[in-house]
Amino acid sequence: MVDADAAKAGLDLLFSSATPWLIVVPGILIGLVFGAIPGLQISMAMAIFLPVSLYMDFMQAMLFLTAIFTGGGFGGSIPAILMNIPGTSSSIATAFDGYPMARAGRHNLALGVALGASCFGVLIGYSLLFLLIGPISEMVLRIGPAEMSAIILWGITLIGTLSGNSLAKGVISGLVGILIGTIGYSEAGVARGTMGSAYLLDGVPAIPAMIGMFAASELFKLVNSKYLVEDVSARRVSVTEVWSGFRMSVKRPVIVVRGSLIGVFVGAIPGVGSSIANLLSYMITKRRDAKPATFGTGNPDGVIASECANSTSEAGSMATLLALGIPGGGATAVMLAAFAMHNITGGPQFIREQSDVVYAIVFANFGQAALLIVLGLAFIPLLANVVKVPMQYLIPSVLAMAVFGAFGLTGNMSGPITVMVFSILGWLFKRYDYSVPAAVVGILLGSMAEDSLIYSYQISGGQLGYILERPVTMLILALLIVGVFSGKLVERLKKRAAGEPASQ
Amino acid sequence: MSNEPISGAPVTRSRKADLVVLVVLASLSIAYLFDAYRASPNIMNLVLIVPVTIIVFVLCAVQFVVTLRKSTNDIPEREPVRPVLPVMILFAVYVLSLPWLGFDLGTALFVGVFLYVHGERRWIWVLGYSVSFSSCVTLFFSYMLPYPMPLRVFG
Repeated sequence: MVDADAAKAGLDLLFSSATPWLIVVPGILIGLVFGAIPGLQISMAMAIFLPVSLYMDFMQAMLFLTAIFTGGGFGGSIPAILMNIPGTSSSIATAFDGYPMARAGRHNLALGVALGASCFGVLIGYSLLFLLIGPISEMVLRIGPAEMSAIILWGITLIGTLSGNSLAKGVISGLVGILIGTIGYSEAGVARGTMGSAYLLDGVPAIPAMIGMFAASELFKLVNSKYLVEDVSARRVSVTEVWSGFRMSVKRPVIVVRGSLIGVFVGAIPGVGSSIANLLSYMITKRRDAKPATFGTGNPDGVIASECANSTSEAGSMATLLALGIPGGGATAVMLAAFAMHNITGGPQFIREQSDVVYAIVFANFGQAALLIVLGLAFIPLLANVVKVPMQYLIPSVLAMAVFGAFGLTGNMSGPITVMVFSILGWLFKRYDYSVPAAVVGILLGSMAEDSLIYSYQISGGQLGYILERPVTMLILALLIVGVFSGKLVERLKKRAAGEPASQ
Repeated sequence: MSNEPISGAPVTRSRKADLVVLVVLASLSIAYLFDAYRASPNIMNLVLIVPVTIIVFVLCAVQFVVTLRKSTNDIPEREPVRPVLPVMILFAVYVLSLPWLGFDLGTALFVGVFLYVHGERRWIWVLGYSVSFSSCVTLFFSYMLPYPMPLRVFG
């Protein structure tokens, strides 16, 4: 499985001179900054700096872009923890416990935990990539549209069952999100739900909708608060606490390894992987915990589960890119463009003929993880000062940044208007106990779910029996049903055993 | 705390709001389904929308009954809307006025008004922060983005 000669050649490629490493530090910093600013995206950072990589050789370009990817992977968790704004869809589950931790004055610990889990996630993810690039790419090839539809449905129901008190409301949120995600032109070439607006022909801009639902709606709720952390004594920035959070992630090897395995395999699935991996890891960790009720209220294990899956999904998506030449998302699509700029085509031939480069990319990420620890520890105390900013200054500043970021994503006023509309919708959802994360994942994946279903319909000729011929689809659907009902069932059984009446 | 069904209990304001949200969600989903059907009854156009809308409708109906049967004590009292409403309106005015005011001037006004409304009375802070914040963010984004932004002062 591992070609020792190619691995040695990869090491030579990396360490024969210090030049390739010179661009890693700025790369990580760019990723951290873009990940940490609400509205800016890792893919945007990579696209902006892509032309710079034209003046580098292929190896340097890859190191630079993967460094942005690595830095951004952790950077996205910073606004998720401090402001409840997931920098990317792969940081959604980080906000579930990270933000309650921050509000309780444990922001240093939460950021340290996220940094530790991210770094270990990158290490484990790329180790798995080093060992399993072949099987991972084979797995991805087996994922057809039927499996894709089932995975999307699974992800949305998973998240619907995770948050809030009502399962029905959680699932309604996810499904309403899916419907919103299908607004605009369909595969059949007709426009639906646009209400005559040309802005909606391409659909609802998903990331601005996410920013509105998560961030702006939360800021509306905080309008009467003086500070993000009400307790003055808890508002301090402590490197010692950040470090203890970092060490805490080391003490949770089971959660880290499980999250990393989920991240690398689920993250390898193009399009949906990284959005689902963090949720799946979070859900499994919650279900297996002795006190699942503490999740969502500021349990550091929730942050670890999400962050390690999120950072390993980077390795998963790199596996798909390197082995098959398929980009899994925006960031890997930019990476594919870098391949093209250097006249390189990803795929089985690339893996076979340039395995030294593949191994060099893997080893470089080990080094990047180590550098991320240093840079993250230096960067976090700076950002943690957000908790000291009075809310009357923080709220308009973050709302304005969200509007700028949304304009940056769409290039016209549809982005800011989407943020505005979805901030009100998000506030209503929160107020009436509907799941905002489920709705957001629905919006993000709605059109992809529809496309996959259409392809499945075309392949099967409309025969439902087709699903029975797809064991992976059957397995995912079975997991979906177990995921929806097992929690309630276990709860009822526990209550019955304790002699209490089961709740509705 | 009573968990009895309360078929005869008065419909509280909170419960009424819960029920209205369910009706609105179900109605909007059905309206979207009809809009999609009007656009094209082709199965390619409806393959996802029909089943999803049906499930939303059924779940809303189930939740409607569950909410009606809930004890009054089980329905949470929610925070008043009054403090949030002015912020929402201010934010909406800010966003909708951006094409005319520009991102620079619009942002400075939004931040300044927000600070003043929320108790900041030191004019130097209101003016200083709103202008400097707006200038920094506008310059950063206008430099980073590959397309022009509506600007009034920096344009």
